[in-house]
Amino acid sequence: MNRRDYLLRKIFFSLVTLAIVVVLNFVLFRVLPGDPVRAVIGRNVRISADTQQALREQFGLDRPVFPDQFLTALGQWSRGNLGVSWSLRKPVGEVLVAKLGNTLLLIGLGQVLSIILGVALGLLAGWKRKTAVDVGALTFSLIAWAIPTFWLGIILLAAGSTWLGLPTGGIVSPSNVGKPLYTVLPDVAHHLILPTLTLTILYMGEYMLIMRSSIMEVLGEDYILTAKAKGMSHWQVLRRHALKNAMLPIVTLIAINLGFTVSGAIYVETVFSYDGLGKMFQTALVKQDYPLLQGAFLLLAVSVILANMLADILYTYLDPRVKAA
Amino acid sequence: MKSRKWLVQVILIAAVLLSACGQTGGGGQEPVVLKVGWTGAPDTLNPAYAFLTESFTIFDLVYSALTTQAVSGEYVGNLAKEWTHSDDGLTWTFTLNDGITWHNGEPFTAADVAWTINAIIADPDGWAAVSNYTANFVEAAAPDDQTVVITLDTPVGNMEYRLSWIYIVYPPDFEVFTTPEDLQNFTNDTPTGTGPFKVTTFDKDLGVLVMDTYPDYFGGAAKIDQITFQTFDNSDAMVQALKVGDIDMVIDVPQSAFATVEGFENVKAVKTEGSYFSELIINSAPADFDPAPNKNPALDDPQVRLAMAYAINKQDLVDAVLQDLGVVGDTIVPPQLGGGFWHNPNVQDTPFDLTKANEVLEQAGYVAGADGVREKDGVRLEFRLQFPSDNPLYPRIADLLTAWFKEAGIKTTPESVDPDSLYVQMTPAGDFDLVIWGWGPDPDPDFILSVMTTDQFVDGGWSDSGYMNPEYDQLYLDQQVTVDRDARQAIIWEMQEMVFNDRPYIVFWYEDLLRAYRSDRFTGFIESPLGIEIYQSMLQVEPVQ
Repeated sequence: MNRRDYLLRKIFFSLVTLAIVVVLNFVLFRVLPGDPVRAVIGRNVRISADTQQALREQFGLDRPVFPDQFLTALGQWSRGNLGVSWSLRKPVGEVLVAKLGNTLLLIGLGQVLSIILGVALGLLAGWKRKTAVDVGALTFSLIAWAIPTFWLGIILLAAGSTWLGLPTGGIVSPSNVGKPLYTVLPDVAHHLILPTLTLTILYMGEYMLIMRSSIMEVLGEDYILTAKAKGMSHWQVLRRHALKNAMLPIVTLIAINLGFTVSGAIYVETVFSYDGLGKMFQTALVKQDYPLLQGAFLLLAVSVILANMLADILYTYLDPRVKAA
Repeated sequence: MKSRKWLVQVILIAAVLLSACGQTGGGGQEPVVLKVGWTGAPDTLNPAYAFLTESFTIFDLVYSALTTQAVSGEYVGNLAKEWTHSDDGLTWTFTLNDGITWHNGEPFTAADVAWTINAIIADPDGWAAVSNYTANFVEAAAPDDQTVVITLDTPVGNMEYRLSWIYIVYPPDFEVFTTPEDLQNFTNDTPTGTGPFKVTTFDKDLGVLVMDTYPDYFGGAAKIDQITFQTFDNSDAMVQALKVGDIDMVIDVPQSAFATVEGFENVKAVKTEGSYFSELIINSAPADFDPAPNKNPALDDPQVRLAMAYAINKQDLVDAVLQDLGVVGDTIVPPQLGGGFWHNPNVQDTPFDLTKANEVLEQAGYVAGADGVREKDGVRLEFRLQFPSDNPLYPRIADLLTAWFKEAGIKTTPESVDPDSLYVQMTPAGDFDLVIWGWGPDPDPDFILSVMTTDQFVDGGWSDSGYMNPEYDQLYLDQQVTVDRDARQAIIWEMQEMVFNDRPYIVFWYEDLLRAYRSDRFTGFIESPLGIEIYQSMLQVEPVQ
């Protein structure tokens, strides 16, 4: 099979997956127990039964789920309209774009740092196998990988705010809200340090472990021995022969992680009161804000599918065997 | 060479981060900013359609109403200087204070008050958040700039309280809306008010609200320049922010953190009597109600309810679960309301007495079976004990109740349920036995009393017990139209006693209100029986010299 056919097939299956996701996306939230109207207004507020009924009508909840609500939703989505969030009273598309930007900034930074540091550390550990460096790096990575996100976040928050005077939450100081971005950039960077550090530590362990085992496997191959026998330096062997092959599992991992990046780091965002997608997911779920939840899940699904597709495409370049399959 | 490029990028990122580390505050003439932290946020700044407590906290600072609740719990004038009512209680005449201006400098007149009240009367759907308060209002008029006359169709027993929730809005901001939907969708992010502070920024997504002092406030300008409200998604982070001085005040300190906060240097933690209570709800929906309730019929036996009351050690609950941050409760009207005026002090609480609990059930004919669970005529005293999953205290209450009930031969099975599902299951389906839940009553007892009325046990209603008592319903209507305060008190005392004796609810406790502030930075907070009263305090606080 040539590359074009391979890609077409991948795209076709991606589209099928997307269609299934769209339907599931609708059904999933409707089978949840509870009443969205109650969830939006909360418990300790005075609102009459009549007003609640009016709200239900406004949200279209008074009509049957199938086919009325489903068809309305499909029609909206096909026109690229994700509806209006009940709890925020803003178009879902607008909300998602704003939160996506914030999340990409945080997670993007965390991912890039953890990939660089994790891969470098994994490489070092694999190369210096069974030395103190390896044992140290391995211990650190195992701990970093196993540590509960929430706990690490809180510990870093307490330490960072006490000893370094770093902010305890938010994206920007309250007094800087509404000012043009370039004037508050240092303040934003200041707020990013702790959440980014948390994410970097959390992701790093995984990258390091995968990279270490991958490079160790590759280094045991015959062609590495051949390369060494040819008189190449360690560094040359590593760069020309080992690295490209060892990177394959890392590419998969990066693709998977990037896809889920969009769901945000719910815990990290909650610990640091960071206004991103993860936090929004949580609020939308608690408030049973169907349009917002559907929009968010659609975005998540699309990004996971896209990231996987991207990984498949990258594979055709990195690994000739995929093309031949 | 690729690796070098990466390196350059890493160094650049690090440089940005490090340069940010070097950023510290400084400068001489900084404005005095009081930074408040909370875990909530206003749902909207539109008083027509705001429901959360946080919104009303902001409205108190930005808008003004004719009346306001003083720290004593009494209602006093705010926009209104004085007022009188006709003998029949149907015509109320208010004289306004002098020198009131809107935040934009325009003069404030009685016509603005009349406009707001008439707008609410005309469009109760649009003004859903406040339309309850104008029930029985016919119209408002402004015969001159200083006088407002409100006409009613029946006398109203809590007029001053009701008016304290009707924030007078700037008519040009609201006149443009013609349908309820348009009005509700108006977010009013920079409200024009007459209050001591003027909102400059409200970013709901970032959880930030900033307000500046309004220098021409008719009650005298505040001594600070700005207040910022910051939302924390995590209360541990909020407590840490108070500790390191990122914020100056926490409006609601979580119970679990209060002891820690008390130990912080330079922080004053204040605990005052509060009105939130938690209770055991006993399914009281009548068997012939439509839809038919699904419950253990033994719950209809007053002796079973009495035995359960004997088997609950409320003091233990306060000590062990609430960590002593509250007091034992009895009636549904907490003593904190109206400075103690509305709470019936004559109600004798049922003491904790397991022997008595067993005796009561024995005499009523409930005999213990082989497994220790009592039964009568084939009905076992075995109940579901459910509670909403969003409250960390409830599982512990459930465990303690289960242990005590077991001693009395009653078997309960605790179960945590999502709060929305639990509500749907209860009202009006009546598909439950026992539920642990709680309420935060209004300052006036009217709302919490309404929770027990028959017509609230409908879809979207507030009754969760299914309690139905025509006598109680009539008293509820009576207290609404009783203008004489003492006469109204007598009715409300009777209603509390009725609910206490019939036991649709067994009230466990009244929770304390927990607040804290940086005493090294600010002074002048007003600590009253109502806690640190936010509106009054914000007018008084000043930086420590």
